[in-house]
Order: sequence, then structure tokens, then C-alpha cells
Amino acid sequence: MIEIEQLRYVRLGTRDLPAAIDFAQRILGLQLIEKTAEQASFRSDFRDHTLVYFKGDPAEQSVAFEVRTADALERAAALLQENGYSVARGDAQAAERRKVKAFVSFKDKSGNSIELVLRPQTSGWRYFPSRDAGITGLEAIALRSKSNGADEKLWTKLFNGRVSDWVGDASYIRFDDAHHRLALHPSSRAGVLAIEYAVEGVTQLMQSQYFLQAAQIKIVHGPGRRPTSEQMFLTFAGPDDVLFSYVAEGKKIANEATHRPRQYPRQPLSFCSWGSETDIPEFTAGERA
Amino acid sequence: MIKLQDVSYVRLGTRDLEGATHFATDYLGLEVSERAKGAVYFKSDEREHTLCYFEGDPADQAAAFEIAERDDLVQAAAQLEKFGHEVTLGTPEQSELRKVRDFISFKDPSGNRIELVWRPAYSGKRYHGVRDAGITGFSHIGLCTTDVARDEAFWTQVCNARVSDRIGDAPLLRIDEVHHTIAMFPSPRPGIQHINHQVESGDDVMRSFRFLTDRQVPMVFGPGRHPSSSAKFLYFEGPDGMVFEYSSGVRSIADELLYRERQLSFDPAGFCEWGSKPEIPEFQK
Repeated sequence: MIEIEQLRYVRLGTRDLPAAIDFAQRILGLQLIEKTAEQASFRSDFRDHTLVYFKGDPAEQSVAFEVRTADALERAAALLQENGYSVARGDAQAAERRKVKAFVSFKDKSGNSIELVLRPQTSGWRYFPSRDAGITGLEAIALRSKSNGADEKLWTKLFNGRVSDWVGDASYIRFDDAHHRLALHPSSRAGVLAIEYAVEGVTQLMQSQYFLQAAQIKIVHGPGRRPTSEQMFLTFAGPDDVLFSYVAEGKKIANEATHRPRQYPRQPLSFCSWGSETDIPEFTAGERA
Repeated sequence: MIKLQDVSYVRLGTRDLEGATHFATDYLGLEVSERAKGAVYFKSDEREHTLCYFEGDPADQAAAFEIAERDDLVQAAAQLEKFGHEVTLGTPEQSELRKVRDFISFKDPSGNRIELVWRPAYSGKRYHGVRDAGITGFSHIGLCTTDVARDEAFWTQVCNARVSDRIGDAPLLRIDEVHHTIAMFPSPRPGIQHINHQVESGDDVMRSFRFLTDRQVPMVFGPGRHPSSSAKFLYFEGPDGMVFEYSSGVRSIADELLYRERQLSFDPAGFCEWGSKPEIPEFQK
């Protein structure tokens, strides 16, 4: 069993780095930490950074999770290889770019690139963005999955993930007391579906709704509330077909021992109990997207 | 008695509005709430503005205090006139410029321009500075006095201020539970002596000390801690020689009946219990 400490960052390739930087800073409300000709990293909380845009193919995306010790990283690499995943070790340069001590990367059965990182950097300085979106931190990642359940097995059998709830075959997976840190949504393709940032409360979430409207950013879902996690959410379109969400409130899994995952039907009301509509294929009813 | 509810804002004339705006935002850490013709308004807390720089003579300064009722404004005007202060009633245009519903203006016995305002504007949008100075709000002012005993009598007898402590003869005056909202300092001429913003913690005071030092902003006192209010502080110089202060942890006076003002020495030890020495003329013998 590979113990994941926490979700750390997402790296996204983009053909238009200046536009992505503008979005992350001015629209999303992250704090630009470092900018080179090749990449820009953004802070949202105590972590040095939780989002990186780099010059490259938008299909190049990776999500990083922290493991605690060098030993755990070695064991993780071995266990993944035993189970048929091909694991690559990051070189020193790549580790430095990621501000981690060491890392390995592999692809899940859908082809999503995952990085396991050791000793990622924490910031001693508090997060202070130029736009007051009220972000408190990176909350969760939604991934597209075309593996028919194999990815869920990866996270729950090889890793210490637990399913908190299902909507159809979409699974919400937790690693700590948050309802989920990772959501897997059945899809015809791989990729990051949405990156979710927690905000202080409903006020900040609704302020952002009007802010995004005025900035002519496409809101694709919400404001709404998820019956599963009880989070209020607002989902909008970012660069390169990646969605971003603000989430607020929501329920913790209070008792790990007694929590039983619930199965919700695959229908719009299972994604939003307020009835907000969406065209996101992974959330629309019917056949697999 | 004129019941001051709170200190509302400070208006400062400047010959260099752009330079003052740069200081107020990038250094001090305030947020521009409005750029008007010949004036810029700054926000530091839940209020619409707490500082206004306008094109004009730097000696043209005013400090505003909030009054609860419009009737109080009328009564205050009558009372002030009785004591020989010339009172000007604010016009609707002037009220609009100050973002208040109504106001009167007069000079205190030293000649400081004071405005009493009714219903100053609050704003629904919370303050978010351009730099992370940790400001929680505009909190108090220092006022120069040419006759400290006369002016203490004015603020405590004509107005509702109470003496919280004295440093030498300089009284620190409260109008609510905050240790002081007006601090009077002897000086050959009138004027606003310093402008205070509260910050979240002592860490913020120290961070700003480093930040402003790096940018060669003149430090004039601190970092230190006032034995009077127990606040950690930092004083530095802004445009037109105005002194700005950050402080954190100001004492709250909960029990009006039990509290007794204390006498502190008018020397560095009376101003700072850490041992820093002021380079502020009004804080020196």
C-alpha cells in the first residue's frame, strides 16, 4: 500500500504561456511565484506552488502527490512496476524544476500522468494574490478516466485512497478527512477535467461568479451544490480545455471506520442538487461521454 | 458634549498626487477605492475610504470623526461656536467628496482642521491591499498641539475623549474601548502628527520593517513596543514628511470605571519598552 500524504500540484502544458499566466493571476486569483521563459508557477496556500504552466503540448499534464519518505518512494516505484505500470525516475534537473527532493512518474491505465514527489517545498510566506478570490488552497483534482474501473483500483488498492461516493461509475476518492481529493470521471479520453480550489465561503464563491461573468469567462456549471460532498461549487473554463472550480463548505468524513460510500445515479441532480445545468460531457446523463 | 464615535478618515493635500498614490499603495499597502479628478481615495478596512490624498498644499490637512445623529451635528456646531470656534457647514458637493451624508468643519484650539461627519460610507467589498501588509484598518491619529493642557481640556470636556495614559504631558485619548484614537503631542505648529493603521500581528510589523527598509523608506521609530498601549509598532516617513505607523496588539479598555490613566516618562523609555529611540521631533525633548 502506497501512503499518499497529500495532493501537491498540477503541471499543465500550454502553447500560450502569457495567456495562461494572465488567466491564473487575474482571473483565477493565484499568486505568481516564479516566471521563466519556459514556465510559471502559482501559489494558492502554504505550498510553494500548486499550479504550473509550462510551454508545451496541452496534452502534457501531470498531477503530483506527496509521499513521506525516500523509502516510501522506492516501495511505491517497486509496487507500481510489479503491477505492470512503467515507472520513470525524475532526474535532478526535473526535480529542481518541481522544487522537490526526488520524484517518480507513471501513467495510469487511462494515460494520465501521475508524479509521486518527496519533500516538496513549503512556503514560509503566506499566500497573497493580486485578486481577492478568497482562495484557501488546492482542494481536489478531477481526472478523466477511460479505464473501466482500473484507475479506481489503482488508487484504492495500490494507494491508500478510499472511495467516498460514486455517481454512476464516477468515483470520489479521499486520502484524508476531506470528502475527496481526486475524482475519476468515466470519459472517452484521458486528461485533467477540473482543478478545484477551496475558497473561504459562499460569499467569495458568489463574488467570483459575478466577477467571472463581468470578465466574460465561461461558467460551465453552477453555482451549485454537490449532494455527495455537500460542497458548493462554481466551475468555469480555463485555458486549453481544462476546467477550474471554486468550492466552499462541504462535509468532512468524520468517521473513517463507519463511513460507507454511497451510490448515486448518473443524472444531473447527482452532480448538483440545486439543479444547475451543464454541458460537461462527463456530467451529462446517458451514455459514457 | 460632542460624542465622537470613531475616527473616520484623514485628508491630506499633496503637490505630487502620483507619488503619494505610489507610496500609499505599493509601500503602505492600501487599496485605491477611487481615483477622482485631483484626488485619490484609499481603503484600509470595511469603510469606503479612510485616507484621501488631494492636489493641494501639504499643510492643508483634515481629520474626520463620526457623529451618530444629524441632530448631534447641529448641537455640536452650536456648542463649538459658543466656545469661539468658527464652524463651517458642509455643502452637499463637499459631503459627496468626503463620501458622507453631512458634515461640519472647524479648527481645534491649536488650529487643526477637524471634520465631524454623519453617516460616512461603508463598502460591501472587503479591503484587499496591493501588498500583503496585514492591515486590519485605519485606527488612530497623532495631532500636534501648541498648548497641550488647553487641547486636552478641549478634547475631554467639549468632546467625549478620556485620557488613557500620558507620556510626559502628551495625552493618549480614547473615545471607545481602544486605548487611544487621538494622541496629542506638543509642537510649535498644528498638523496631523502621524497616521496609524493596525496590522494583524507582530510578524506583520517586522515583515514591513524589512520590506520598507529594503525600499529605503526612512524609518523614524521602531520596531518597538509602547509601554502605554502595549502595541508593537513601526513608524516610517511618507510623502510630505507625514509619519505613518503600523501597530499591532493595542490594549482594549473594557472597564471604564476601574481604569486609571498612568503617567509615563517623556523619554525613549516612555515611548518604547524595547529600547528603540524615536527620530520624530514631537517624540523628542
